[in-house]
Amino acid sequence: MSSIKEKFNQISPSEFFYSNRDLAGFSNPTRSLYTAVREFVENALDACDQKGILPDVHLIIKAVDPDKPDPKPYILTVKDNGPGIDAEHIPLAFGTVLYGSKFGLKQARGMFGLGATMAILYGQITTNKPVTVKSSADGKIQNQFEILLDIQKNKPVIVKHTTKEVARKGLSVSICLEGDYSKAGNKIRDYVYETSLITPYASITFDDPKGQKFSHPRFVKDIPPPPTIIRPHPHGIDVERIRRMIVESQFEIPTIDDAMIEKVRKDLGLSVKKLSFISIMEKAKKKWKTLPRQVRVVIALMSFLKMDFEKLNKIKIEDIDMPNRKLFYWDFGDSQSKSVDMDAESEYYKQLTNTVQGEPLTTFLTKRFQRVGPTTAVKFAAFAKLKPEKRMGTLTNQELVNLSDALQKFEDFMAPDSSCLAPLGAEPLEKGIKKFFNPDFVAVVQRPASAYSGFPFIIEMGIAYGGDIKSGGPHVYRYANRIPLLYDEGSDVVLKVVNDTDWGRYKVKGEPPFIIVSHICSTRIPYKTAGKENVADRQEIERELRLALQFLSRKLSSFMSKRGQAEMAKKRANLYAKYIPMIAEFCTELSGKKKEPNYKKMLQIEIESENKKAIKEENEIENN
Amino acid sequence: MKLKITKKEQEKKIKSRSKKADDKQKLILEILKTHGAKIYDDLDNGQFPKFSIPSRSVGNIVYDKQLRQYILGNNAALRSSRNSAQLRSFTQLMWLAFFANRLTTERKSSTLRDVYYSSQAFAVEFEDQSESDNIIVDLEAVTSRAREDFHIFPEERSSIFGDLNIEYTIPGYEGKTMNLANHPDGYSIGPSLTTAELVSTSAEIVIAIEKGGLFTRFVEEQVDKKFKSIILNTGGQAPRSTRTLLKRLHDEMKLPVICLTDGDVYGEHIAMVIKSGSANAAHLRELTVPDAKWVGVWATDIEKYKLPTIPMTESDIKRCYDLQKDPRYQDGIWKKELDVFLKLKRKAELEAFSKYGLTNITDKYLPQKLELAKSL
Repeated sequence: MSSIKEKFNQISPSEFFYSNRDLAGFSNPTRSLYTAVREFVENALDACDQKGILPDVHLIIKAVDPDKPDPKPYILTVKDNGPGIDAEHIPLAFGTVLYGSKFGLKQARGMFGLGATMAILYGQITTNKPVTVKSSADGKIQNQFEILLDIQKNKPVIVKHTTKEVARKGLSVSICLEGDYSKAGNKIRDYVYETSLITPYASITFDDPKGQKFSHPRFVKDIPPPPTIIRPHPHGIDVERIRRMIVESQFEIPTIDDAMIEKVRKDLGLSVKKLSFISIMEKAKKKWKTLPRQVRVVIALMSFLKMDFEKLNKIKIEDIDMPNRKLFYWDFGDSQSKSVDMDAESEYYKQLTNTVQGEPLTTFLTKRFQRVGPTTAVKFAAFAKLKPEKRMGTLTNQELVNLSDALQKFEDFMAPDSSCLAPLGAEPLEKGIKKFFNPDFVAVVQRPASAYSGFPFIIEMGIAYGGDIKSGGPHVYRYANRIPLLYDEGSDVVLKVVNDTDWGRYKVKGEPPFIIVSHICSTRIPYKTAGKENVADRQEIERELRLALQFLSRKLSSFMSKRGQAEMAKKRANLYAKYIPMIAEFCTELSGKKKEPNYKKMLQIEIESENKKAIKEENEIENN
Repeated sequence: MKLKITKKEQEKKIKSRSKKADDKQKLILEILKTHGAKIYDDLDNGQFPKFSIPSRSVGNIVYDKQLRQYILGNNAALRSSRNSAQLRSFTQLMWLAFFANRLTTERKSSTLRDVYYSSQAFAVEFEDQSESDNIIVDLEAVTSRAREDFHIFPEERSSIFGDLNIEYTIPGYEGKTMNLANHPDGYSIGPSLTTAELVSTSAEIVIAIEKGGLFTRFVEEQVDKKFKSIILNTGGQAPRSTRTLLKRLHDEMKLPVICLTDGDVYGEHIAMVIKSGSANAAHLRELTVPDAKWVGVWATDIEKYKLPTIPMTESDIKRCYDLQKDPRYQDGIWKKELDVFLKLKRKAELEAFSKYGLTNITDKYLPQKLELAKSL
């Protein structure tokens, strides 16, 4: 008999990204060079942020052969003064896709450190050169690796590993990749420039392939408070996420083998080899609080089986039927299946229930979500039409879907905790705008935290007018989690909100010299595409953006009208000085008079009065 | 007609005529002086000068049935030199009055374009000619006098031919006379002709024609002699000086005026403007010939004379609908012909008569229309 077997090939994450690299922003040499710069600079900044280190980031791009026409191979190096990475983690961190430390829920520039590996992968594909990583985690020894990726196996191949002594901590990553600097140069320079505006506490330098140096020293000495890692908000999760959380909360029934028995003995602190069942249970009771979960489960099983270690060694647990309170096991000695009843009142029974069926609903909610207390959990259970003590492990698929639905719909959860967010703060933002644009007027606002689909977010916005700002505004600088967004601005929600504004209403007319800086901070920015360039128009985000912009526009409007009044007064004074004498001249001849009318004193008074008005308005602007 | 005049009588007449011109000059200068003095006094009293000007907005233009023309209503606007938005145009208007004063005093004429350039000698800026033209209309509105009274003339020229004796009043030509039948191309209607005295004529009618080509044909065919007429080429829409001349021919020489235009809605309106003016000049009187008659080419003539036609354009048709709303087109031949134009949706030019021979229009059509005009 022959059977036809369908063959399913599992592909590695590396292989997947290799064939879908344009998803992550590596579609052509121009875009790829830009994306690679972004990924490494953002990793460097994130690493420093997390450890509260004032970042010094140095970006160097060099052409391998400067005389070749673009696109051509470039060496891209990013150095930082961050915490570095332990030598043992380096090969995995830089030589596998989807290896990273950023899996917790908090605001960071990148999510999983995926982008950097993509850049390395892209470099390897286009130039066949390994990535060079130099890292010192202790400030004494630097480990230097040259690593290639084995795409099919998603495994690092260490080409070279050396160490040397150094004087400071930090990480330096260097890749060789095909790029087009003549086309990407503008964007990269804009990126560095705009990054330094939103990261005023960082010093960023950039040596470009043409030998130009761009230096953006830090102008703020304090790092904004780092974000904390938090549990998810009930509004922000889906069925799949709940399923995973349940799995995390459950424990498998441990296999009881020699190793396991040895562990139990050790944890109980049993020195005597042969110990009766009763004395084991007594010892366990005393030490219960210090026992790890696996050991507790074994003890619980023993309590019902009433066996000592020797007997335990000769059976295999087959099934634990909690509802019928029966414990099935295979007896190797008798070669048959046996069962014992379990006492539902026993403490050990509860222990097994927790293990097999998971936590009760209310415990699950309070323990694994933010913003859910015992009272809310009970209220929610009623809302979801589930028993509060319902075991998470016993939920059917349909019940899971219903639960997920109810979590979304229940309105009594408090708004998400925003302590996981790290906005820049109004003051540094204003400082940055002043430094970059030297404007006549600036206003900034930080909106209170809000949430969309359970993800907290904060909008920070600044508006500035005049000074060094180019006309033809509003020029919009978009940021998300301290990353400047430079591509695809057409379809961005910030642009939408700005374009919807009738600037005439705020006395801003013509081709005004003004800018808007918008910063969205969130644990998850709803990007429209994987390239992370434009933010989708979520209703809640759009609303907050509007409120922020309206607030700032009103301030701008009052500045404009004061400035308008001052300008008008100045203009009037000039017009009077210019035209009234002409009128006097013409009407003298027209009326057949010889002498001009006596108007000069009146004119002097009027001009002075207008000039005074102008000065008063200007002073008010200064004082605001 | 009296032909023989003694030398003494002649001199006397000349004197009285030049006195008439002097009187008009004095009147204009007096008007300008009055306005200038008011501004002077305001300034002398330490105040920002101001004056009021009739509003020329659409809402203030009304049709006066008695006068049979558009006039301005009672709305007026205050122009103040304190208002910085008005100060520039205030100064421009003051300059223009000052400039008009000089022109009138020195009896010099200038064109609209001249005014635009002359301003630059006095550091009074105009953005473009349309801005200075607009200020000229302001001066007309404030003083209720046409710009020609201030010696400012448009560029466009129309012409006149026929037995009309005139006597110039412009400097250097005072007392000089001219018979307008002396030159077969006709005489161009400029400042000297507009301000000339109309002395005598043997003509009994004025025929205003829309087109220069037909004007020449009429001269060649001696329409002036055959029909005892003065022939005038309006050159399309008649310029103001031409309309003034038409009015003077009618009022001073007691000559009836008939209009002969292309057979289309624009032609009909050329005749209407000669008769009752335009909304654009609602601030002025003395520019209309309310008794003027439009004798053709009518829409009904197109069928009657089986004239070759061309189809109306979209804008022709739109113009018809616009004019249907005008109070002057609510009765008589004006309404009737307009309706027929709309029905036919075709038009015919004066030259269409050439289909029947070049002289058909003067031999056949004109006599019939002149006869008809008597009964209109």
